Amino acid sequence: MRAMIIDDSRAMRSILRRIVSGLDFETTEAENGQVALDQMHAGVVPDVCLVDWNMPVMDGYTFITEVRANPEWRDVTLMMVTTESEQRNIVRALAAGAHEYVIKPFTPDAIVEKLSLLGLVPADSAQGAWA
Amino acid sequence: MNVLTFFEATPDEVDAPTVDDLQAVTEDVWLALVGEDEVLLPRLVPPGTPFDATGVWSAAVTISGGWHGVVTVELDADVAGRLSARMLDLPSAEDAEDADVADAVGELVNMIGGNVKSLMPGPSVLSLPAVAAGRAVFASDVTEVCRIDVAWRGGPVRICIHVPNASGGSR
Repeated sequence: MRAMIIDDSRAMRSILRRIVSGLDFETTEAENGQVALDQMHAGVVPDVCLVDWNMPVMDGYTFITEVRANPEWRDVTLMMVTTESEQRNIVRALAAGAHEYVIKPFTPDAIVEKLSLLGLVPADSAQGAWA
Repeated sequence: MNVLTFFEATPDEVDAPTVDDLQAVTEDVWLALVGEDEVLLPRLVPPGTPFDATGVWSAAVTISGGWHGVVTVELDADVAGRLSARMLDLPSAEDAEDADVADAVGELVNMIGGNVKSLMPGPSVLSLPAVAAGRAVFASDVTEVCRIDVAWRGGPVRICIHVPNASGGSR
């Protein structure tokens, strides 16, 4: 399985990378939605994207709408991982095509649980502390 | 965590998160970033006292829309380095370069600010973080309404919420 981590913070990408690498995902990273789209157009199409909302150049919401507009990427699972917690924006993201929504701060188990709900990891994959 | 907090404005006068709110948000974010084995300890800091670290990293995010405010974080430089090393999985704080620290401190204020935003009337927009090596200087048209002073591994950390003077924080 391949995961693309899209967040403008290198520190947050590092945290998420350690969590999903511990679940045997191969990982790629992008610092905003445009870089992620460029990678996907170049053939780096992941099984799941972990997407921040508030990023420069292209935000996570726009990225999701762009991915969902391309039928070739219909199998890509999209999971928002963001501090954006207003109900209207959660609804917007899910309506635009996000499959799951995680609000920062999160525990590693919260990410594992969401990936499990999406059928991307076994239900018993909780791994405890990552640090 | 028993956090000592001082108000420069009476809480009833402004529409702002409470100290308990800010404390809870900070604890949650810190736990998520560094793990359960590291706790923030309270610091006794009299009102009006400038942030007392010798080396400082500062960061801020602005919330605008249904509520207006600025959330700021100031960290002792050693704390900032250690936090960055922890978040980036570096061997030690000495391995954290300025760009690493700026990134980590920016994410810290982003997470705290985002959760503060969720406590206030919306819809609002959170700015991208602004980060600086050194003390932050704030415009005279904002007032600090909420502050917590804590320590991590002996180094000071200060988190504040500021609101616009004229409006009392709600436009």
